[in-house]
Amino acid sequence: MPMKGRYPIRRTLEYLQKGDIVFKNTVKIMTVNYNTHGELSDGARKFVFFNIPQIQYKNPWVQVMMFKNLTPAPFLKFYLDDGDQVLVDAEGKDHKDISQHVKKILGKSEEVLRAEELARMVHSNPANFGPKKYCLRECMCEVEGQVPCPGLIPLPNEMRGKYKSQMKGTEV
Amino acid sequence: MSVKSVSVHAKWIVGKVIGTKMQKTAKVRVTRLVLDQYLLKYYNKRKTYFAHDPLEQCTVGDVVLLKALAERRAKLVTHELAEIVYKVGNVIDPLTGKQVAGSLFRETLTDSMENPAGSLTEKLQELNISAATSEILQKPSEV
Repeated sequence: MPMKGRYPIRRTLEYLQKGDIVFKNTVKIMTVNYNTHGELSDGARKFVFFNIPQIQYKNPWVQVMMFKNLTPAPFLKFYLDDGDQVLVDAEGKDHKDISQHVKKILGKSEEVLRAEELARMVHSNPANFGPKKYCLRECMCEVEGQVPCPGLIPLPNEMRGKYKSQMKGTEV
Repeated sequence: MSVKSVSVHAKWIVGKVIGTKMQKTAKVRVTRLVLDQYLLKYYNKRKTYFAHDPLEQCTVGDVVLLKALAERRAKLVTHELAEIVYKVGNVIDPLTGKQVAGSLFRETLTDSMENPAGSLTEKLQELNISAATSEILQKPSEV
């Protein structure tokens, strides 16, 4: 049973996570102006169709807005935190060119991304037990090969303190 | 009583003006893309913000850039108007700087007004010449 729609691969988590472009912290708003008809806007249309979901997935706090059929030529506009605006012309360009250009001017570089990932790994130690939000496991009973949770399966009598104290009482 | 610092999460916002009935305030609708968890597709989610517009220069339908105020101005007003990005009916193409409507360029009236002035002076000169020639023609007829 195949997925519904044109290019449903765009709607998979794997595709979304494969997005390259992670914007720098100063980029707040991204605006794409393009036309629904015409060859010049073709690259911009493909960019919106294929790459915008990836960009929004990787940058959840950037506002992305699309405007259709406002101007004859397609372009992208970025609004930065200090009030600066960056205008990127997209007329006649291919969607891959546009995304590579945007990555070059406003995306975080590979080194920065790797450094951030290392920092995140260092910050979260997988050996810790705690709430699901911060650690992988909450209790030892979740680990395979360890004693299962007594809430689900009763412990054998040798491990129960109540039974042991009862036995001690009857013996003595 | 207490001063609220950085009242909102969003510092810069782009939205469309939907109402200007309040005095010196514009009601702006901002759309953000939100992922539907099951369909894994992005849809626009709307939110309305109120923006302080001291000069009342917004009309309904403008696309507007808002900046977060340092302190909340009123119970609802959290942003102020930074810039009108696209004025409704008068969109200016940022690449060329000319007025634009859809996929066509609008030719402004000032260009066409200049030419008639030039041609009028030429026409006046022609009239003088013709008047002079007609006088010369008339004199021999009088005599």
